[in-house]
Amino acid sequence: MSTASPRIDPTRLAGPAREAWCVGAATAAVARARAAGASAAEAAVDSGRSLSVRVSGGEIESLRQSATRELGLRVLVEGRIGFVSSNDLGAAALDGLARRAVALARHSTPDPANGLPDAADTGGDAPDLGLVDPALLELGAVDAIDMALRLERAALGFDPRVRRVEVAAVSRSDASVALANSDGLVRASSATGISAFVQPLADDRDGKQQSGSFGSEQRSLAALPDLEWMAGEAARRAVARIGARPVPTARAPVVMHPDIARAWLEEMYGAFTGSAVVKRESWLAGRLDTAIASALVTLVDDGRRPAAVGTSAWDAEGVPTRRNVLIDRGRLAMFEYDSYWARRAGTRTSGNAARAGALPGVGYHNLILEAGGESPEQILARIDRGFFMDDQGSYGFNSVTGDYSFQAQGFWIENGAKAYPVEGVTVAGRSLDMLRGIVGVGNDLRLDGAVASPTLMIAEMTVGGS
Amino acid sequence: MTPASDPSFPRASGQLPRELAAELLELARANGAEFADLYAESTVHTGFVFEENQLKSSAFSIQQGVGVRAVRGAQTGYAYADGFAAEDLREAARVAARIARDGRGGATPAFRVVEAAAPFTLVAPAPLALDEARKIALLERANGAARAADHRIAEVSAALTDLARSFVVANSDGCWADDEQYLSRLTVEALAIASDERQSGLAIGGGAVEAGYYEGERTPESIGAEAATIAATLLAAREPDAGAWPVVVGPGWGGVLVHECFGHSMEGDGIRKRTSIRAGQRGEQVAASGVTIVDSGVVPFSRGSFRIDDEGTPAQRTVLVADGVLVGYLWDLLNARLSGERPTGNGRRTSYRHFPLCRMTNTYIEAGPHSPEDLIGSVERGLYCKSLGGGSVNPADGNFSFQVTEAYQIERGTLAAPVRNATLTGNGNDAMLKIDGVANDLKIDGSSGSCGKDGQWKPVGVGQPTVRFTSITVGGTAA
Repeated sequence: MSTASPRIDPTRLAGPAREAWCVGAATAAVARARAAGASAAEAAVDSGRSLSVRVSGGEIESLRQSATRELGLRVLVEGRIGFVSSNDLGAAALDGLARRAVALARHSTPDPANGLPDAADTGGDAPDLGLVDPALLELGAVDAIDMALRLERAALGFDPRVRRVEVAAVSRSDASVALANSDGLVRASSATGISAFVQPLADDRDGKQQSGSFGSEQRSLAALPDLEWMAGEAARRAVARIGARPVPTARAPVVMHPDIARAWLEEMYGAFTGSAVVKRESWLAGRLDTAIASALVTLVDDGRRPAAVGTSAWDAEGVPTRRNVLIDRGRLAMFEYDSYWARRAGTRTSGNAARAGALPGVGYHNLILEAGGESPEQILARIDRGFFMDDQGSYGFNSVTGDYSFQAQGFWIENGAKAYPVEGVTVAGRSLDMLRGIVGVGNDLRLDGAVASPTLMIAEMTVGGS
Repeated sequence: MTPASDPSFPRASGQLPRELAAELLELARANGAEFADLYAESTVHTGFVFEENQLKSSAFSIQQGVGVRAVRGAQTGYAYADGFAAEDLREAARVAARIARDGRGGATPAFRVVEAAAPFTLVAPAPLALDEARKIALLERANGAARAADHRIAEVSAALTDLARSFVVANSDGCWADDEQYLSRLTVEALAIASDERQSGLAIGGGAVEAGYYEGERTPESIGAEAATIAATLLAAREPDAGAWPVVVGPGWGGVLVHECFGHSMEGDGIRKRTSIRAGQRGEQVAASGVTIVDSGVVPFSRGSFRIDDEGTPAQRTVLVADGVLVGYLWDLLNARLSGERPTGNGRRTSYRHFPLCRMTNTYIEAGPHSPEDLIGSVERGLYCKSLGGGSVNPADGNFSFQVTEAYQIERGTLAAPVRNATLTGNGNDAMLKIDGVANDLKIDGSSGSCGKDGQWKPVGVGQPTVRFTSITVGGTAA
């Protein structure tokens, strides 16, 4: 039986050595679980380092270094599930955890759908997906601080009305993860990450401020947009909002900035999960192979897009990922599953097991609405009067019904162009009507995270205002 | 099972010897940091999910470690180690120390233990005193009650999650404090389906509560039935009329409104950096007269309460607005020191993996003179929001929004048809000035709230009596 040595700190290792340490710890946890009475077990171990820098007024505001290790252990005892997690991976702790997991499982209800993924679903290749950037492994605190300072400086230099920057932050990470189960499956991989975020404030009248922001998360330094360009975009957005005001309530065409469109995609994703469908919580249940969106819409979940933030060769159960087409030119083509919900639905896993706390869940990898042919300007040019939405509140989506109702900021559109900035309004509709009402898809798709959309134009929504 | 003897909950206090703490603080200040602190923590979470009439999952998690902070001026260096191995902690202290590079450290004075009275004590805290079987039984009861409440309930998901946290905080001023915190939360989500309509309802109980709470103050049956009733009511609800309307917000969780659109702007970091609109407004009229707003870490049995904060400062009751006038802000150690203010016990962090931020505790509007019926009765046409869902604010520009989970049209002073999918929006700069009636039915919701800031989530309480606003923009599909 292999045992992870508690004396080696995995967070001081890198690359293959750290992967090997994670594999050792995961297989040890599986062995302990079996010894404690589990009929099957699956362990995931991850370990990584990260560095986060935030600057303010030309100085470091905070510099935080993280070094983490974490074990998640899922055990099965005669169809019952128990789950434990811990950051203590020493041998004695592992034994205690394994026993606790088995004891917890005995409280659960037996369910024949519980189990490790079927062997037929776990085969396949593990190609190099470009998830590790050697340049990021070399990126130290001084470099990250310099990048954050450049973000702040460029935002302040954009316009005299930008006098403060609320956030200028850069963080980098590198981590390894290993998965092992009692069927002998072993997977391991590593990835790096870099993210930058800037939020300048522009002075408005009466001491009021307007904010704009831009953020990007990537796997490699080279993929990160130019820092001065990002800061300029954020500052331009803050300045453009000066003098924003409400508009009267109206039914009008709405153009969604990519940030707004991708937030909507993320909210809608739950309805595409097999778990919601089986539990009758999805507003898309019963609509498979029917037109749920305009023919302009193709939505994919691509687990293997090279070097993307959501990419990994396999999912949280060790099933190879793939490119799933969820909406094919308007038609609902599939729902996504992990092995539990696939068994419940009488289908096969789509490689979408996600590790999110206790329950094995269904999750996306890279959720992308494919680009269309028009530029955002061409889309705006088609509108006599309407609303361009480029900021929103955090809450306003009903996951059971797909009802959409968000606080919004943006611009009123007149005669094919932005006329003046707007705030204090809401934008509401029903997702199914909105999907069917998409009459414009921009060519401006860019990936700044795991969810992405180009600009979208929706034929009509309710804009609630003064 | 008693808290003191529960072997599954190792206390942090036994893991950090004082000599080691003093050494770590010295290491953290070795390069010239003016201040350093340590936060050693041991936290156990358990969680059970009951859905589709079965116990779907049982989970247990334990996290232990120590975070080291070094502060120079307004600059923070932070590093942490998982576990309590001395060499790992020394390494974390050396990393944190790098925030300063051109000075020399100093010795830490002898530790003195922070004296603070507990705002309330738990004899048998629910997370420890209830064993697994009893926790699961609560979920079965909630599930049964929700399904029995209405024949249109098609699915119920009930979850019990709790935590027991033990921590020690020590700093270079010689402060030494430790505390234990216990939170329990029972959440029920019910799905109602009738022909083509589906709606869900959510109800939550819990807080920093005794095991007996679920047999007295709030039974699983009452939580389950409440979730089911909301879902069933919404089946017949209509879409709201979009536009600006008089709005009456019900007591309790409705206080999320004052939390978002006022409380955040009172946090010391935004005040010190002057990124908050409230900086420099002390003494000014910021809310309607008759409105008093408080942040209090000592509300009994609330999620947002504690004896000492995560920096070792005793919890207190802080008046933010007295009769409409801004009288005080919220301060953590760093921002208080830089601003020449006294800390108010609002330094909080998600875990040892995070440095403390200035955060709210339990934020609420004090009771006023009116009856709730009078406030509703005075509205010709408007919206009564019985319960809100999530809310958010952009602290920089003040724009806020709230999802309304259960609402009713007000027609000629009486509650009429139920309304669904309403969103409230406005600007925090003037929202509190739009209050024109405060009722006498103050309720503080200490069961539900979690507040996110800079990626850190922290349990909070919110509260208010029934409050009337002259006008709030309501979002909806009807125009």
